[in-house]
Amino acid sequence: MTMTIGTEILYSFIIIACSLMIYFGTKELYILTSHKGIKYFRKAFLFFALAYFFGSFIKIILLYFQRSEIRTFLPIFGSITLFIFMYFSSMAIFYLLYSVTWKKWKSKSAIYVFHVIALIIATTISLFRNHEVYLLINVILFAFIAFTVYSSYIQSKKKKPHNLYAIYLLLFIFWIFNILDILIPNFFQSFQLLIYLASSGIFLIIFYKVIKKTG
Amino acid sequence: MAKRNKLEIIRDILKIIQENRSIRITPLLRKSNISSSRFKGYYSDLLNKEFIKETHKKNKEISLSEKGSRYLEKYSTIIDFIEEFEL
Repeated sequence: MTMTIGTEILYSFIIIACSLMIYFGTKELYILTSHKGIKYFRKAFLFFALAYFFGSFIKIILLYFQRSEIRTFLPIFGSITLFIFMYFSSMAIFYLLYSVTWKKWKSKSAIYVFHVIALIIATTISLFRNHEVYLLINVILFAFIAFTVYSSYIQSKKKKPHNLYAIYLLLFIFWIFNILDILIPNFFQSFQLLIYLASSGIFLIIFYKVIKKTG
Repeated sequence: MAKRNKLEIIRDILKIIQENRSIRITPLLRKSNISSSRFKGYYSDLLNKEFIKETHKKNKEISLSEKGSRYLEKYSTIIDFIEEFEL
């Protein structure tokens, strides 16, 4: 199914609005507590909003000028935008993972390691124009996410089965699909609308959970 | 008695101040049930964050600020949120 600029804008609006409302809706909780978990959780959604702003910017330019690859169309500008998009995307994922693992890891330098990894991912993707490299990076990223989410789920203190990790896992899977959709043109083609609907649904569920708790 | 975390200790200190309206440091330290070295850390933290204010400088009477009251109001929301997202 061919995506229109309107669909792209609507999808971007949902993701960016949900992310920013989560970020600003939890501001008071962070101001009152300075709790590290809340800090990383909020930063994750700020980075999701920023990443999707640059991601949709790339998609809208491609749709408007009917091009398939940003760097063949605008080499320098395209590379810079892709770099920023990949850095924010990777950091959004890492911050959300770190919000549930920071107590267990105890290492104060872990977040700096994540920044370095995100910079390496962003640099590699903006320098190489190889679809296999893109796929490999995202498969490694997904393997790391799946392992971390699964080990956090096992160590979870909650006795009742908890759907938070399932939601996070789905969020990460569809976020990686979004990354691949921007990096590799027409990678998903007929599934694109389905990916957009699923991603929007997951962000709306998280937003609802946040609103339900914060009021 | 289970070991209290940082958020619980802050809640307990603020509750003691709220129940007494204003209180001097020594009885607050005694009622807080923490060591004096840890109390010093929490006390300066609460002052820096403007959760509490010193009303009479000479006797160092402490009372709750608006921000401190807000913390107590929001405490159950904060805990619910942290537990929901396992933060």
